[in-house]
Amino acid sequence: MRPLFFRLQHRWAPYLFISPFVVLFLTFMLYPLVKSILLSFYITNGPKSQIFVGLENFRFLFGDPAFHQAVWNTCVYASASIFLQLPLSLGLALLLRGSGVRGRNFFRFGFFSPHLLGQVFVAVLFSVIFIPKFGLLNRVLHFLFGVAVDTKWLGNPDLVMPALVLTSLWMYVGFNMIYFLAALEGVDASLYEAAQVDGAGSFKQFLHVTLPGIRGVAVFVAILSTIGSFQLFELPYVMLNNTAGPDNAGLTVVMYLYQNGFVSGDLGYASAIGWTLTFAVLIISLLQMQISGTWKTEG
Amino acid sequence: MTDRSFEAIVPVGKAPVLILLITVASGLFLLFNPVSSEKATLRFWTFARNHAIPYQKATPSFEAKHPGTNLDVQLVHGEAVTSRLRAAFWADLDVPDLVEVEISRAGSFFRGPPEEVGFIDLLPLLRASGYYDRIVKTRFAPYADRGKIYGLPHDVHPVMLAYRRDLFEAAGVDVTQIETWEDFIRVGRELTRVGERYMIELSDNHSGHYEMFLFQRDGGYFDAEGRLTMDNEVALETLLFFIPLIAGPDRIASDLGSGRVFTQAIEQGFFLSFVCPDWRSKVAETDIPRMHGKMALMPLPAVEPGGRRTSTWGGTMLGITKACPDPELAWQVAEHMYFDKAELAVRFRETNILPPLKDAWEHPAFDEERAYWSGQPLGRLYADLADEVPPQYASPLVETVKSKMAGVVSACAVYYRDNGEEGFADFAAKRLGDAADEVRRYMRRNPY
Repeated sequence: MRPLFFRLQHRWAPYLFISPFVVLFLTFMLYPLVKSILLSFYITNGPKSQIFVGLENFRFLFGDPAFHQAVWNTCVYASASIFLQLPLSLGLALLLRGSGVRGRNFFRFGFFSPHLLGQVFVAVLFSVIFIPKFGLLNRVLHFLFGVAVDTKWLGNPDLVMPALVLTSLWMYVGFNMIYFLAALEGVDASLYEAAQVDGAGSFKQFLHVTLPGIRGVAVFVAILSTIGSFQLFELPYVMLNNTAGPDNAGLTVVMYLYQNGFVSGDLGYASAIGWTLTFAVLIISLLQMQISGTWKTEG
Repeated sequence: MTDRSFEAIVPVGKAPVLILLITVASGLFLLFNPVSSEKATLRFWTFARNHAIPYQKATPSFEAKHPGTNLDVQLVHGEAVTSRLRAAFWADLDVPDLVEVEISRAGSFFRGPPEEVGFIDLLPLLRASGYYDRIVKTRFAPYADRGKIYGLPHDVHPVMLAYRRDLFEAAGVDVTQIETWEDFIRVGRELTRVGERYMIELSDNHSGHYEMFLFQRDGGYFDAEGRLTMDNEVALETLLFFIPLIAGPDRIASDLGSGRVFTQAIEQGFFLSFVCPDWRSKVAETDIPRMHGKMALMPLPAVEPGGRRTSTWGGTMLGITKACPDPELAWQVAEHMYFDKAELAVRFRETNILPPLKDAWEHPAFDEERAYWSGQPLGRLYADLADEVPPQYASPLVETVKSKMAGVVSACAVYYRDNGEEGFADFAAKRLGDAADEVRRYMRRNPY
């Protein structure tokens, strides 16, 4: 018979070792999540002053023009992420997958490396690049196309979103490329051979072999990009100098949540924004999975 | 035969046990060797480096006057002052005894029931000490709420116009002939070359410069009773006047941003002048040293002949928190830093910031001629305008209004650039009204 000490540790050691995670998860994840659901039914001035208002926060939210603007901006950014970023990432992956490409590993690392920098660092870097008159981008555009050197990328409501999208492209195209590279490696080479025998050209092979072969990863990357886009905060916050930019052109949903929760002190309204965002992302992700046929069973 | 291996005795293996031992050892080490913290009698937070340095210099003299007292002046980032302080007030956590808060953030601390405001009411102390009547009255407005004053004004921040004297003289401009904005615009149109040189630096995407024009006309975002006035007649009039300065073919202003870009633009003559509250004159001296002797100051042009020749931009309050165990001593710190004439003279030389205590301006430091500003007595110029500085009234929604107003300015500038005068007045009135309606929605929602 094994000694008692042995049996006790055998039984309790797993619980002991996962307890730090469980304690942290309960304290910093589960409790705040539950608390924020409750808070969304209150108007608050910090956690001490709370007045129960039922669904008033949600009613106010859906009639709030600033929230509408934030949702619109976030959707535009998310669309750009999916319809610009992902094709570019896939294009890069296709270019850099062949073993015949010289300096392939160098380019792979080069395109991926912007992601190693934090969003705040990238935001600071690009806010310098976008400076009117003295900034690198304006200088180059002026030299190449005669664009005015004092073009205000971050001061003109029409240019703020393109500037944010441009920055995020630099940061994330290479990162998503890695997923696509991995997915492309997994496509069965014999399918290409069969397609060639059937007379399919490069484009048809891409359409009927490559795309179906990487569909799972593509959906995963699209969902990841969507969630990331809806969480956009640091990039515009730093680039626009802690503001929502001219005419709220850089206001995102999370930034609006932050303004209400931590600047105005209305944690209840901020919680309502947070939960609305959660459900929106959930619905969009489910739609993406539905449209891409992720749930279809092979027949 | 008995298995004597480690795993036989401790089945979870060596690695988890090692982790556990390290955790316990480091926990015990920290328990018996806590991080030593120097206990200060009073802690004082400020967000501005140019405030912190003079306060730190003035600390030994305060401590000498109050033996056994240890004052710790800490420089904390502006964002952190606001967010950490607010969170600490909410959660009854450790807060400093004295805090400086930036003017546009101050109102946000007055939200909620008065008993939950984290600062003590300074009005009784101000009245008892007699300082209330010796300070520029309008500077209490941003820090007053529901009959209480929660902050001592650090400054007056009158606004003048700083200009490239060398370039003005080369162009034959006599600034003594510029009395009104109309005069200024006329000269500005002659000197401005769009894309190459502008008469003045004014922003088309934030509300700061617009506000300065608004305050000069006795306008504001809120009135003394806390009513929203951001869309009244004065506001619309100001907007209709301001936008053509920054947009359209006859514009005389532009902006590039702050910091190094701004200073380079001044050096290169891209901007011939800029609005210059006292604090910005020090920024110019520090960041554009090559303009030494080439710059000068003039009062702001008036809206009408004989009108107000200044406005205001920026500000800071000093508050004493309710958590402070010794408010009497904290008040003495405030007196030492804010009302000691000798200290104020030193501070003025270092920062160019005019203190709100009127008696202090009698000190010779305020009459000193400054070579950087072409020999002008900078302190006296600002002091002469101080009594004309218009008030700004407090509200927890000041930041929200500023953000909405920035949107209005930006949208109007775009509209004017694309359409000119055609339909502009209606568009501006509509945008201003819409922004005000949004703020009123927030105000109606506020139950406090």
